[in-house]
Amino acid sequence: MNNLFTGKNVIVQGITGAHGSFQTKSMLAAGTNIIAGTTPGKAGQLVEGVPVYDSIADIQKEHTVDISVIFVPARFAKGALLEAIAANVPLVICITEGIPVHDMLAVNEALTHSGTTLLGPNSPGALLPGVHKLGIIPAAMSLPGSTAIVSRSGTLTYEAMAALTAKGIGQKYVIGIGGDMVHGMGFIDCLRLFQDDPDVDRIIVIGEIGGHEELRAADFIKEHVTKPTFAYIAGHHAPAGVQLGHAGAILGSEGESAMAKTEALKSAGATTATSLTSLLASIV
Amino acid sequence: MNLLEHEAKHLLRDASIPVPAGVLVKKGEPAPRVTLPAVLKSQVPTGGRGKAGGIKVVESEEELKGATQQLFAHPIKDLLPNSLLAEEKLAIERELYLSLRVDRDQSAIILMAHSTGGIEVEDNHDFKEWVVKDYSADVLGQALADYYELPEQTFALQDVVENLKTCLVKNDALLIEINPLILTSDNRLVAGDAKMTLDDAAAFRHDWQFEEAGSEANFVTINEQGNTATIANGAGLAMATVDAAVDAGLHPANFLDIGGGASTETLLAAFHRLMDYPQLRVIIINIFAGITRADEVARAIVAARQHISDLPPLFIRIAGTNFEEAAEILAAASIPLLPTLDECLAAAKKELYE
Repeated sequence: MNNLFTGKNVIVQGITGAHGSFQTKSMLAAGTNIIAGTTPGKAGQLVEGVPVYDSIADIQKEHTVDISVIFVPARFAKGALLEAIAANVPLVICITEGIPVHDMLAVNEALTHSGTTLLGPNSPGALLPGVHKLGIIPAAMSLPGSTAIVSRSGTLTYEAMAALTAKGIGQKYVIGIGGDMVHGMGFIDCLRLFQDDPDVDRIIVIGEIGGHEELRAADFIKEHVTKPTFAYIAGHHAPAGVQLGHAGAILGSEGESAMAKTEALKSAGATTATSLTSLLASIV
Repeated sequence: MNLLEHEAKHLLRDASIPVPAGVLVKKGEPAPRVTLPAVLKSQVPTGGRGKAGGIKVVESEEELKGATQQLFAHPIKDLLPNSLLAEEKLAIERELYLSLRVDRDQSAIILMAHSTGGIEVEDNHDFKEWVVKDYSADVLGQALADYYELPEQTFALQDVVENLKTCLVKNDALLIEINPLILTSDNRLVAGDAKMTLDDAAAFRHDWQFEEAGSEANFVTINEQGNTATIANGAGLAMATVDAAVDAGLHPANFLDIGGGASTETLLAAFHRLMDYPQLRVIIINIFAGITRADEVARAIVAARQHISDLPPLFIRIAGTNFEEAAEILAAASIPLLPTLDECLAAAKKELYE
């Protein structure tokens, strides 16, 4: 993958909404080059000085679009995502939380036949300290540097970043992949990006109980990652939140626990801990 | 949201999937006419009901009356039913397993089957699975008929697959599990029991009127006898807070994610719930505010202090959006803040054990 995260021209879908306009301001302040935004029916308005268009296609008549950050409400998110995919936007970052799973299955289907990479939904986005901010990760708590963070949980992303900053350890990438059942980029996509980027010298992976993605990430680390990697899986003592009847219980039996995932990451060569605070303490 | 059996069967019937004839007996309401013999099933939002004595076969009016009283008074995993489902007694030839679900790892709808269904299904490991979008319903129905070794049921199974797919998508369901799928001695396929999980995120486009079975994913009791309650925002931070508390030698009673944008009222309600833990002696609050506003949390903490007289000591760490405002609100009420979770845990430990 080319480095999609350094794309220049950024747009915001849902720019006139409460979250969209507030976050546009905060992204601009963090140095993001937001060239335009969309909200159907609101073309001609300005949000924080950024021109609003009806559609991505209208923006593309005048500009190249490299990245779209989506803040539209959940019930309209499927439409917004399909629009961005149809417009062939290289990187789409969906912050919206609460998108119905069946809507995401349809989006996923459209993605497989497209040139678009999706981060999210229900993701805090990505922050490249000192470069730009693509989402809602608080830039004030970051510091430019060479550590890369990938996490499933928004709050733990901020927590890890703020703790590193407090120690004077800067970050090259801070990426939240989102906790939804059906989502875009996963741990492996981010690990590949971090491994291939010569400016990254250390990787932090924050996972959770449920699913098998962290186990596959462990396999990937073992095979392909040579940089020092630190990993924490949240939920060593918390019971699984959602039980999908018998099918879930049967499928959830092996490998989905925090302990199993931690073991796998450890045997793949990562430094692990049973709490985030102790993991962060081990990073110097 | 997990549905009760009778609610799930209602949606199955609407989707033309055969379910046994039945009526609902509601608590405190005149009993409807029940055709005998019948199977009486307690409608509780939990599995393992059969083994726990929640299902009774009744042959006479006398037995029906007795079993009705018994089942309404019989808790299953601490849950009492609000209704009983009285169904026709089927002549069972075979019990099969069939489910359709959205799978997290494969980001796809998966059809899963086993040739032996029933209450021991958890012991099975060799389930057969198909990615639904790769095949037509006709091909899947044929594959099921081959797998179950029921060639004469091919057409019926093709219909079941087609209708299950429609039912899953139309209702925004994440899981439909039919266990057992009963083959009757007169060669009909009938959904003997049904579980269904609906996607709460899709509630805006449905008119759902269900009993709201199941537990809230955001409040889970870990240990009824725990001495430490935890409150955090975001599922990840809530889990991480519990993990860190255990590492520090505390015994967390619960996991609580107050989510984004929680109001003072919902937070206050959460405090009241924590007071039910008999051994509760400290409360750890760990907030990293993004969309959640730290000042809202601070107001709820002050309200809890005012309204709950025997509230145990609070150990609070707040960072993020509107932190300064939160710090002022708490300072005005003389409630101390600690700079890190580690310090909260250390102070709580001191309170508990020194």
